[in-house]
Parts: sequence; C-alpha cells; structure tokens
Amino acid sequence: MKNNLKEERTKQQLTQIQLAELVTVSRQTIISIESGRYIPSVLLSLKLAQVLEKKVEILFELEASD
Amino acid sequence: MQFLLPHRFKKIGAVIAPVGFFIWLSMQLGYVTRILIFMVGANTAEQYSAAISIATITIAFISFFSFLGGVYFVTFSKEKVEDEMVARTRLDSFQLAALVQLISMIVGFLSMIIIKEPDESGWLLFFIGTIFLFWIFFIGRFNYILHIRIRE
Repeated sequence: MKNNLKEERTKQQLTQIQLAELVTVSRQTIISIESGRYIPSVLLSLKLAQVLEKKVEILFELEASD
Repeated sequence: MQFLLPHRFKKIGAVIAPVGFFIWLSMQLGYVTRILIFMVGANTAEQYSAAISIATITIAFISFFSFLGGVYFVTFSKEKVEDEMVARTRLDSFQLAALVQLISMIVGFLSMIIIKEPDESGWLLFFIGTIFLFWIFFIGRFNYILHIRIRE
C-alpha cells in the first residue's frame, strides 16, 4: 500500500510530533506509517484524514500487489 | 491490555533486572561469599560460616527475585504513549518469542537426547534457559522495533 502521509503532513506544515499529538498516537507510529512499515487501522486512517483535511483515498492508495 | 503497569515501572524494571541478575550471577560464581568474607574477615568458627551462608542465601534470594520482578516490570509496563502500533508490536513480539522458545525447546531437547542425556540439574538448567529465552527475546525484539529500528 502506498501512502502520501509525509507529503500531506509537510503540506500542512506539521511535524511528526504535532501530527502524533493531534491523532493521539506516538511519534514512532507516524514514522512507521510514513515509512510503510505499519499499516494503520481504519480508525487511525480516518483520524489522519480528518486532521489533514484530506480523503483517506488520497492518503492511502492500493497498489497492484495488494 | 488492561493489566499493564504504568510506564514508570519500565524504568524501575530496567534498573533492577540487570542489577539483580549480576548480583545473582556473582553469587553463583562465589564472588559474593568472597566479598562477605573480605568485609568481615576470615574465621573458621561454625557460627561464622553459618552466618555467611545465611547472608549469601538471602542475597541470592533477593537478587533473583529482583531480576524476576524487573523482567516482569519491563515486560508488562505501558509505553509513554500506548497506541495500536505499540499493541500490535507487543503482540507480534509475543508470538515470535513463543515460536523461538518452541523451536529452541524442540532442537535443544532432541540434541540433548542424541548427544548425551543430561543429569537432573542439566534438564533443570535447560528448562530455566528456555523459559528465560522467551522473556529475553520478547523484551529485546519489542524494544528493538519500537526504539531502535524506528531510527533507521
């Protein structure tokens, strides 16, 4: 799964810590999601989308291999 | 998990587990007895050797249970921020540790039988080793994923 979290976060001028605090997760979780090591739950994906004011499909995209 | 201890216990455990282990190991290697004899002076009286034995056993008991308590604190303490990724990492680490323990038990058991069947103390050491392998592997893997690999 491809994710555009880092791009969207930087567009909003948010640091990883700020985004983590806004969605009440640890900074490690944001790092893991951005690096593609961790796929977030639906709930966390929706929270991220809400905070970044984007649709979930913009933040996370399915790839051919998925 | 609802039965996790507050995060501060992790720090306490991280201190008392290694301290307890090294004191217990020193006791096993005879260093504690030597230190006690050095501190109070050598004496051949029966009462003296009994007191040294009691002191050594007490230190062994306290250090071993400090180690166990420390391992418990480190394993069952919350992270600063508990979220779904931490919970997932904890679960994955438990599963992997259980798998490693099972494989080591099978391989160890078979190799001990094939090479040479050990005596009672050998079996005891083997089972204690495999039990601790689970906890040590879990702690190592969980903390590696959360605090070290994250920086890579």
